[in-house]
Amino acid sequence: MPSQPAARKPVNLNILGVVPFAIFALMFLILPTSTLMVGAFQDANGHFTLENLRQLFDTNVRDAYWISFKISMVSSMGGGVLGFILAWAAVLGKLPAWIRPTLLTFSGVASNFAGVPLAFAFLSTLGRLGLVTVLLRSWFDINIYSTGFSILSFVGLTITYLYFQIPLMVLIVTPALEGLKKEWREACDCLGGTTFQYWRFVALPVLWPSIVGATLLLFANAFGAVATAYALTGSALNIVPIMLYAQIRGDVLHNPNLGYAMALGMIVITGLANTGYMVLRSRSDKRRA
Amino acid sequence: MKSESRLGAWIAMAIGTAYFLLPLIATFEFSLRMERGVYSFEAYRVVFADPQFQTTFGYSIVMALATILLGILLVVPTAYWVHLRLPKLRPIVEFITLLPLVIPAIVIVFGYLRMYNSSALIPLTGSERATDFLLVCSYVTLSLPYMYRSVDTGLRTIDVRTLTEAAEVLGANRATILFRVIFPNLTSAILSGAFLTFAIVIGEFTMASLLDRPAFGPYLQLIGANRAYEPSALAVIAFIITWASMGLINVFGRSKSAKPAH
Amino acid sequence: MSRYTLSTLAVAALAVCGTQASLAQSDQLVTAAKAEGQLTVIALPRSWCGYGPIIDAFKAKYGIKVNELNPDAGSGDEVEAIKANKDNKGPQAPDTIDVGLSFGPSAKAAGLIQPYKVSTWASIPDSTKDADGFWYGDYYGVLTLQVNADLVTKLPQDWSDLLKPEYKNAVALAGDPRASNQAIQAVYAAGLSAAGGDASKASAAGLKFFADLNKAGNFVPVIGKAASLAQGTTPIIISWDYNALADRDKLNGNPKVQVVVPKTGVVAGVYVQAISAYAPHPNAAKLWMEYLYSDEGQQALLNGYCHPIRFNDMVAKNKFSKASLDKLPPAAGYAKAAFPSLDQQNAAKEAITKQWDAVVGATVK
Repeated sequence: MPSQPAARKPVNLNILGVVPFAIFALMFLILPTSTLMVGAFQDANGHFTLENLRQLFDTNVRDAYWISFKISMVSSMGGGVLGFILAWAAVLGKLPAWIRPTLLTFSGVASNFAGVPLAFAFLSTLGRLGLVTVLLRSWFDINIYSTGFSILSFVGLTITYLYFQIPLMVLIVTPALEGLKKEWREACDCLGGTTFQYWRFVALPVLWPSIVGATLLLFANAFGAVATAYALTGSALNIVPIMLYAQIRGDVLHNPNLGYAMALGMIVITGLANTGYMVLRSRSDKRRA
Repeated sequence: MKSESRLGAWIAMAIGTAYFLLPLIATFEFSLRMERGVYSFEAYRVVFADPQFQTTFGYSIVMALATILLGILLVVPTAYWVHLRLPKLRPIVEFITLLPLVIPAIVIVFGYLRMYNSSALIPLTGSERATDFLLVCSYVTLSLPYMYRSVDTGLRTIDVRTLTEAAEVLGANRATILFRVIFPNLTSAILSGAFLTFAIVIGEFTMASLLDRPAFGPYLQLIGANRAYEPSALAVIAFIITWASMGLINVFGRSKSAKPAH
Repeated sequence: MSRYTLSTLAVAALAVCGTQASLAQSDQLVTAAKAEGQLTVIALPRSWCGYGPIIDAFKAKYGIKVNELNPDAGSGDEVEAIKANKDNKGPQAPDTIDVGLSFGPSAKAAGLIQPYKVSTWASIPDSTKDADGFWYGDYYGVLTLQVNADLVTKLPQDWSDLLKPEYKNAVALAGDPRASNQAIQAVYAAGLSAAGGDASKASAAGLKFFADLNKAGNFVPVIGKAASLAQGTTPIIISWDYNALADRDKLNGNPKVQVVVPKTGVVAGVYVQAISAYAPHPNAAKLWMEYLYSDEGQQALLNGYCHPIRFNDMVAKNKFSKASLDKLPPAAGYAKAAFPSLDQQNAAKEAITKQWDAVVGATVK
């Protein structure tokens, strides 16, 4: 309503609003990346080639993308659900007031507690000589390693990834939970609705776009993570960032053009995931409107 | 019904607390083992005695605060504008903000070295202060996904359109709307973004190392490279100090904001 | 007057024929280096070959500031850093690099390094230097077994011992065999031992050795470091002797560390130095090289447990301190050390990086 007058002018002015962001993104993200990404289409002498892109479909690279995808999917779904529950408990669970700020600030620190310190922390906790492993054996006579569990496995890696995924979810979803109006709950109660009906028909539909958006962030976060996986399972894990780094930085392989091609592949996959998220969200937006 | 949710919440909290605290306890226990056979704070003494620890940590804290400021000033108006006036651009903007998560930091910083080196049009690596500025911009880029996602979530929660229209009807201009109506309602979301940014900057290694700035990340790497007990002590110390800093930001942020709409 | 002209002419003549002529730590070089005031090095961890004390001594001797970039960098990082900083004269551009043997020729081919022959050039073995002076080996070490003696009571003496059941969940590499020189050489060394010294079969035999090690449950796929050695996740690490010995000193008996040179399959790895073609401080870089290759510099490398490249030459002239020689593992172990040639290294690299995942199968699925 406020922008009814001259049909042309508001459109121009509106675009101006994102100009600072566009300039920043161009100068500090898109252009610097592009100057190197052209390397994905070049060979070692700088000539144009599609060989690097073709190599992306080699078995070992395809396997790497698949495992990367799997671990990102699992840790983002798991982190999404568990993070949501934790955030719900802190915001709507009627717990003492000091718990929420403590959880939020702790989540802030934990969300970036990744890489070597995190891997080492989990090795010290659930490794063969880890604190919990040893205590379980000496206090309760339970040997978790005899059940086939190992921290150096897909499951172990996921458990470790959750340490920074869950806090990330908590931080992003808490403002949305805080925004749920009390009146909606009261209205639902007045109309005789159960807790389940409240969540199914009122709260979750409202929160859905935020939850999905946050989960997408978790996915991309895990997809690009390398330090933790490298420090934990190093030579036993074949994920794309590790392969990428081996090409760009390694002592031995050093085909940076292939590395850039792999990075390009990661960007494409992230773009696809983002599109999927758009589709999911627009469907729920339509239902709301 | 009320007692059910409380019990459920307590159980969730208890499990969550155990999961998050146990690895920290294990790290702490290992850091106490520096002296053979006894528990002692020797590793901590070594860490604190190092003057590099204080200088690099102080530097990173200053960088973190600068990054948070620049990040908020960049992201909040943009997210607000896209939300209000340019919903068609939203997918593009969101995709751009996801890029820093998957593009390796080393690619970005090599790009900076090519574009802003001392012989280029904008010689940002020429002087220390200019390199600091470049570093802050790189940190803002790295924290973009988190800051944007937080603010975006917050904007969905408040009724942006109504608030804006009400403020306009009362005669407010754009700046007033943004700073005195929108910002205070987004306190929780902005604080979330600020926490995430702070943690990222304190621990960040690649950018600081390749731009050759005395930040905490490279210092952590240096210590962790071939010592056994000091890195664990350092991890615990960094965790506690970062947590305390966030607590301060939290107190400062919430006291500054006006009471929320409801 | 004429004397002045004569000496000026002499200096000018030296300067003219000079970029490849060695200047030693001559006053001229020192003055030029001091005028530049700074040296930027990269990928030199302070505890690697005792680089910490070496850098400090260089700083103290000449008063030149030393900028230590990214100590954790790999050889690939260093080459990329030169490329990225071609036009940059700031402190982010490395002046010198210290890389694995195979990176010397590739950096030369890419035009990233400039030639310089130090004054002690003649005493560097031919097989470890570039004839034109672009790159030159500086030190070597052999692969050893670094053992946490508190957790492992019976010390392994050779590669074949590692397959025994008492070393379950114990053996680790110090890097990723798909990317790290140290790890690839470790696989090669194990293979050399298993193949009875036949270099052509070493890579395949090495991969098979690690496949067996993994099947027996003895291999731990974590990258071994001092912390994981002490904590117990990787009680036996296969690493360069100088790293193992430095860790042993750092840990200071907590836990007790033993460094074992295997009886067979002793493989030496050479690291080379080079000056960047785009170095912002070329004279400081040359002075640094002169320092490293001087008797003082080579002794300092030995103090860091690295075998300096002029080892044989200096031992013959009795130039090393007895104390430093005594601190090394027994010389008999080094006598049989094999120095893989560039071709052998490239072949091993190719085979091991490509086949590690498939053959050894220590993959997390």
